Amino acid sequence: MDKFSSEKVDVVIVGAGASGSLIAARLAEAGKSVVLLDAGPGWVADDLISSQIWARRLRWGGAPVQSVGGHPYAFTFNAGWGLGGAALHHYGTWPRLHEEDFRVKSLYGKALDWPVSYEDLQPFYDRIQEEVGVAGDAKAEIWRPEGAPYPLPPVPSFGQGEIIAKGFEALGMTTAPAPMAVLTEPYKGRPACVYDGWCDAGCPINALWNPLISYLPRAREAGADIRPRSTVLRVLSEGTRATGVEYINAESGITVQHASLVILAASAVLNPALLLNSASDTHPDGLANSSGKVGRYFMAHAIASVYGLFEEETAVSLGLTGAQLTCRDGYKKDLREGMLGSYQWLIAPAMKPNDLLGIATARADLYGKPLEDFMRQAVNHMGNMIAMVEELPVEENRIELSEDRDANGMRIPRIVHAFSDDALKVWGYAKAEGLAVFEAAGADQPWNGPLGSAHMMGGTIMGDDRTASVTDSYGRTHDIPNLVIAGPGLFPTSGANNPTFTLHAVTLRATDHMIGHWSDYAG
Amino acid sequence: MNLDAAQLNRRTLLKRGALGALAFEVGGRAVMLTAAEARAESLPLIVLSAEEAGLVDALGRAVVPGADEAGLVHYLDHQFAGDPGAALLMLRYMDVPPPYADFYRAGLNGVDATAKREFGRSLPALDEDEAHTLVGMITGGDPEGWEGPPAALFYFIFRADAVDVTYGTVEGFERLGVPYVPHIAPLEQW
Repeated sequence: MDKFSSEKVDVVIVGAGASGSLIAARLAEAGKSVVLLDAGPGWVADDLISSQIWARRLRWGGAPVQSVGGHPYAFTFNAGWGLGGAALHHYGTWPRLHEEDFRVKSLYGKALDWPVSYEDLQPFYDRIQEEVGVAGDAKAEIWRPEGAPYPLPPVPSFGQGEIIAKGFEALGMTTAPAPMAVLTEPYKGRPACVYDGWCDAGCPINALWNPLISYLPRAREAGADIRPRSTVLRVLSEGTRATGVEYINAESGITVQHASLVILAASAVLNPALLLNSASDTHPDGLANSSGKVGRYFMAHAIASVYGLFEEETAVSLGLTGAQLTCRDGYKKDLREGMLGSYQWLIAPAMKPNDLLGIATARADLYGKPLEDFMRQAVNHMGNMIAMVEELPVEENRIELSEDRDANGMRIPRIVHAFSDDALKVWGYAKAEGLAVFEAAGADQPWNGPLGSAHMMGGTIMGDDRTASVTDSYGRTHDIPNLVIAGPGLFPTSGANNPTFTLHAVTLRATDHMIGHWSDYAG
Repeated sequence: MNLDAAQLNRRTLLKRGALGALAFEVGGRAVMLTAAEARAESLPLIVLSAEEAGLVDALGRAVVPGADEAGLVHYLDHQFAGDPGAALLMLRYMDVPPPYADFYRAGLNGVDATAKREFGRSLPALDEDEAHTLVGMITGGDPEGWEGPPAALFYFIFRADAVDVTYGTVEGFERLGVPYVPHIAPLEQW
């Protein structure tokens, strides 16, 4: 196999998802030479076919990832594959984390604290939402922390959303339009959403935010070299400096890309796997792992789903895959005796007939004629919502390396994951509450789905204590100053809110710091 | 139906791709057909044997009415023959490593062995009620003597594929009376 080195650049970034693309754009625009590598295809908007079947191409298609433990994590479904990463198929639900999410240990004596506060991140949330175009009603979101009002009016509520909202109202609970990175009116040259419910398959009209819309074009325009189908095998290092990465693609074979700064933005699972696979004589336990915390504190959100059939027409196949409405009355972590953790309701996601989150799967026990009968009724009368439940960080939940190897000879990642007792208790509480809401809304015999998992966080957590964390608050590894981690793998706690808005804010803050302190990073 | 590959220009292929068609080889040329059209044309199978196709047809019909006519056999065969990294199978979401056909073969053999054990006949020879009963035996866990992937997982995956070809296409949406309203027709790469 050919092996050659390419010219040294200022920055090599691994992973062209939300974080990697944002960093590439900012650093390239700051005049840095940037190479952006991604293992998957070079998607363009025209690839985003409106189909739940074809949407699967956007999920991880690289080397196998093993998943074990009490509650094995569904990696492929949650991960991205190719330019845009998971943000290409994300649903655009963009709540901010709450103040308490950053201080869980201090407030409750459990879990971890972040090395930054909400106040530190607020300006970056505000900047990002203006750039991306987030729709919402800040006043109606009574739980929302301080921040600039949304730049766009909220998404509409209709069909199942209006019906389910009545259930919340009957129980004295509050709903508000879900904060969505979806355009409710034309914005910065992009069109408004048409609410056809195909968000999961990617949004080719650019109403739902993804990195193909702006960050990747900006990076290219500023001179960044974006290389899809390039799988990074290891980070190269000499002493306490990263020197570049070794990667493979079909055209060049195994290639070394030298860089002054190496940034890993490959995902909360693949970043730690890459660090562990980059062990050397100097770093026998993996790069940036003097703390032994690389791969530790992996987190997912526990998902409680609620379904029901209503007499009214619900238009369940239309709207947004994310949600029409939200309720965060249950967000405060210590409201419930004997359990600690937040949850939020995402109300009235659009459901197509098929797929993992589709109508047919909601009654996976049905087959034959009963399935056909159910489908014909449900496509017009079904409603649904999900509770997204916090998982507190547990060190034993981790990314490690399997003894099995991929086609390139690298040890493949293994995710070891089980939800904590707290998460399971809050999940159970939310399930029961959801049924009560649906009954109050008039659903006929509502039911719950099985325990699900969504999002991936932790594994390379940030912290002030270098013996208990992997990076500082900017994602710079404690051990190797020119090696930076980006993305939700940095989160020390998960909160109960979708992570994409926060990962953008964390990344933007880190990128400002890199640009302002370049010599500290690149030496 | 008799489709002439020469009559399908690129624009037609693009539009057909948006409607759920897949690229099948006909006379040495790639033709975009839906799985149902491929079945109606009796296109040769690449990976599945005739016996395996019979099992898929019979089980598909029992799990999701209409799945056989919607072309489940050709859909699965097409997916097994392609790049696993570009697969459209629900199995992709389960973090099961390829080759994916191995999973289905083991599951189908398990179901057929259960049919022979319980009814004394192979799955395709069962009547509708017997097939329904057989499916019920694999939904909740491994039947006695089961060999293969976890029966409930195989049922879930197989059912999801059958649901995809039956309800997840434009024709499937129409069958259910659901508006398909695709966002945008692809302009290239299809």
